[in-house]
Amino acid sequence: MADTVGHSPDRSASTNRNSSAAFSVLVLALAPQIFELLWSIGTVFGASGRGPLQVLAGHGIALVTAFGSIGATTKTPVASDALLALIYSYPLLAVAILTLLVKPKAPQDYFGGVVLMGVALFALWASSDLQGMHGFSFGAGTAPRMFGVLLLVLGVAIALMGLLTDGPAFAHYAWRGPLFVALSILVFAVAIRPLGLVVSAFITFLVSALGTPETRWTETIIVGIALTVFCSFLFPYALGLPMQLWPRFLVQ
Amino acid sequence: MSELFSNLSLGFGVVFQFMSWAPPWLGGYSIPIPVNILLCLIGALVGTLVGVLPGIGTIATVAMLLPITFGLPPVGALIMLAGIYYGAQYGGSTTSILVNIPGEASSVVTTLDGFQMAKQGRAGPALAIAAIGSFFAGCVATVLIAVLGAPLTKLALAFGPAEYFSLMVLGLIFAVVLAKGSVLKAIAMIVFGLLLSMVGSDIETGASRMAFNIPELADGLGFATVAMGVFGFAEIIRNLDAGAEMDRQLVQEKVTGLMPTRQDMKDSAPAILRGTVLGSILGILPGGGATIASFAAYTFEKKIAKDPSRFGRGAIEGVAAPESANNAAAQTSFIPLLTLGIPPNAVMALMVGAMTIHGIVPGPQVMQKQPELVWGMIASMWVGNLMLIIINLPLVGIWVRLLRVPYRLMYPSIVIFCAIGIYSVNNAPVDVVLAGVFGLVGYWLIKHDFEPAPMLLGMVLGPLMEENLRRALLISRGDWTVFLTRPLSAVLMAIAAALLVLAVLPALRKKRDEVFVESES
Repeated sequence: MADTVGHSPDRSASTNRNSSAAFSVLVLALAPQIFELLWSIGTVFGASGRGPLQVLAGHGIALVTAFGSIGATTKTPVASDALLALIYSYPLLAVAILTLLVKPKAPQDYFGGVVLMGVALFALWASSDLQGMHGFSFGAGTAPRMFGVLLLVLGVAIALMGLLTDGPAFAHYAWRGPLFVALSILVFAVAIRPLGLVVSAFITFLVSALGTPETRWTETIIVGIALTVFCSFLFPYALGLPMQLWPRFLVQ
Repeated sequence: MSELFSNLSLGFGVVFQFMSWAPPWLGGYSIPIPVNILLCLIGALVGTLVGVLPGIGTIATVAMLLPITFGLPPVGALIMLAGIYYGAQYGGSTTSILVNIPGEASSVVTTLDGFQMAKQGRAGPALAIAAIGSFFAGCVATVLIAVLGAPLTKLALAFGPAEYFSLMVLGLIFAVVLAKGSVLKAIAMIVFGLLLSMVGSDIETGASRMAFNIPELADGLGFATVAMGVFGFAEIIRNLDAGAEMDRQLVQEKVTGLMPTRQDMKDSAPAILRGTVLGSILGILPGGGATIASFAAYTFEKKIAKDPSRFGRGAIEGVAAPESANNAAAQTSFIPLLTLGIPPNAVMALMVGAMTIHGIVPGPQVMQKQPELVWGMIASMWVGNLMLIIINLPLVGIWVRLLRVPYRLMYPSIVIFCAIGIYSVNNAPVDVVLAGVFGLVGYWLIKHDFEPAPMLLGMVLGPLMEENLRRALLISRGDWTVFLTRPLSAVLMAIAAALLVLAVLPALRKKRDEVFVESES
């Protein structure tokens, strides 16, 4: 059960670490904008939505000018981009600056709390267009906002605890396992519709097997084939789940 | 009393139902098949099979095997799912004893003495005592469900929205108190879960909430999807961290002499009894469950033992008590689900998901409108426990062989099974991607020492809590004091508040941590 790293924090390395830690909070603060920018590249290839330039301009202007709308009266509707900057990015940018200045005693908890704050702020932004209370009956947005504020408070509390009380150091992340397991799941999701169960299950097996250096390929391929055959009988036939077995272009 | 017997006989009637099967090649004859018994058997076997595999907990097992019940009628599906559930519990204890790897969190403490017994060549008696203890606990729990079911249902009908809301708050607080680690973090996880449950259409206004115009999110995040990601994929990724070649001290000798000696029986009988009582109580409490029950039972045995130093060196009580406790808790945790419609832990939350897929809304009305469903399931638990004890002891050899499969081959297989399982729920590739995302989220949570189980509980209770909160406030015309002025609700809230205060108090926290430290020593 003792799963997480429990060594004492490495004090000597933490001076260097802090700027990189602050940088990761900065990335977190701009994560939705960056994500939309990456997503918008799809429009170049014909997907609908805002193009990359529009996204860049929209968020860029919003990030710079949203500051001015803080003092403005709340009656005037604020654009979604500006709201994102106001509700989500600004508070986290402040946290990023703070991170640069302080040295959390329990980095694991501190960053755990900061990310939860991010989740809460993002949820508050996402539910900002929903109707709130009217009279004494709940609107659609009341409960999400309530839980959002609660999570924000808890996130701040956890981050403060991490800042002030001793605790475990930053957890060590491996990259190989998460990368290839996630990749194989993605491959399955993309392949199952066009390529059918047989092909996608086999490819998924091979990709996820890349997740550890201990894989021996001959046995992996043999087991992969056996398992694919087993699944192709179990799910569509024995359990009667509607699933396409072979690639679409072969069936037609 | 007569009501109890008529209910149980109704249940057993459902379990022993025969369906005539007339294949054309028999030429007009038909063979009677006990369908539900077969389903119970298959469920228990498959549950044991998956439960034996290390790295897949009960929650992931149930989530993974959920799709195989889709094609069945509701009664059959529930019987099979229940079978999977206690089969998984059972399988977990087998690996704890033989390989020192707990298949489930609830059998972590069993490794302490069980594996020591196995090393001393007493694996047979350890397995047998675990099975006997589980069976005895299962019998008691089954009767308990039958006894408490009807009166609690009547109580539930007196519950208004305010009481329901308070009860759920109490349940969540229990989950916090009984979780391991920081109270603050556990509460944060619950609220995170509540927030996740808000994604999708609002039940009352139909407004789309936090769905970003993604059609697959309009119905909300699928519970099985999140569970599979956080408990299936995340666990795999975490295990890969440690290196695929996990340290397996497999007990190589053949398991011989299953029968425990007379002395063993004499030693373990009181432990089984105590474990059962403790487990039954902790199982009923919302937020409780099999894991905490087994920890508590072990700690209790060690406390009252004449010679505590025997524990950890192969004391048979150290196997008997936690195994009885976790089985009792696993079953009594059905009580809040069946009578109040509130899942007390994450596995039960998954059961709610399964029931909804079959068009059943759990709650007091199910007990009244579809008694054959509820009582059939309860009766099947008893039958299933009997099956497990008869079937599994001779099959131990097969389960052990399964453990020799190296993890480097096992984990890609689990990935595929999970992926196909999630895909088959809605035939939606997006669900698979979401499960992958939650796998990474779960990995992050583990790395930052957050417990995912309270999150899942929050996610399931979220919609129920919102609905009841809304209704309670609508009835009280916006008066928030309604939760404190209605007596039943006030009592529940007071208990919740007291628990929370106690959990934060340093003296009790020490005690609470002590319970969990056992597993790490």
